[in-house]
Amino acid sequence: MKALVVDDSMVMRKVLIGALSRLNIGDVDQAADGVEAVAMATQNQYNLILMDWNMPNKLGIDALKEIRAQGQTVPVIMVTTEAEKMRVVEALKAGATNYVVKPFEPKVIVSKISAALGQTAEEECAV
Amino acid sequence: MNVQYINPFIESVSELFTTMFQKSATRGNIGTSKSVGENQDVVAMIGITGDVQGSVAVAMSEQTALKVVGSLLGCDIDEFGSDATDGVAEVVNMIAGGAKAKLPSQGLSPLQLSLPTVLRGKDFVVTYPTQSLWLDIPFESELGSFHLRVTLKNAQNN
Repeated sequence: MKALVVDDSMVMRKVLIGALSRLNIGDVDQAADGVEAVAMATQNQYNLILMDWNMPNKLGIDALKEIRAQGQTVPVIMVTTEAEKMRVVEALKAGATNYVVKPFEPKVIVSKISAALGQTAEEECAV
Repeated sequence: MNVQYINPFIESVSELFTTMFQKSATRGNIGTSKSVGENQDVVAMIGITGDVQGSVAVAMSEQTALKVVGSLLGCDIDEFGSDATDGVAEVVNMIAGGAKAKLPSQGLSPLQLSLPTVLRGKDFVVTYPTQSLWLDIPFESELGSFHLRVTLKNAQNN
């Protein structure tokens, strides 16, 4: 199981990597913007991508569109402060698997990751 | 500045604490501040543009900043380094993002946020020639005290 965490905040990447570790997903790559994210998703096979929206160089929503345009079906969860419904709809139309608004409770992100991977969220008890 | 604009930011602080930190933050009385950094060591700030323009900031002591970021990461942080800088930037990002989603209910079109900036020092002054008034909302929390500071004005008043 290999995941990519995309966020311009190093601290948020660490928070998300912590959430992944609770699901025993320890093989995690990191990207700090949409450009890096597209490049890494092109070069690697991921089982899951966690994608911020607002980042320098390339927005997460644009990175998502490029990844989908490549035909990649990897689950992508948007994890963002963009909380407006129009943003959620835009992301889902672009091919996002799910959407998590920051700030979030730890059990929420773990549950959404589990659902995206088709796992049960029994690990929630560890949060 | 329309004081009603401040409520979404206050709500956003409370939501941040109850979700990410799973703690409470109690706010004090709204006042004003001459400068965004008044009496504080660390300020994380984001610019807002759209129907209203201005900035939102969180200002705190270095000790509080270390506890806040440590709580985010789930570990103790002893020095104000890149993690702390990045963490307080993310804190104001989440506060501004949450408020941004609520502000349209105040009759505003969706707003845009800048990327966050972090300032460090003691009693530094950031001068805003056309926006000299910062609303100041003090908060107390288990992680320490901090201030939410907001300056906004209607764009058509430029």
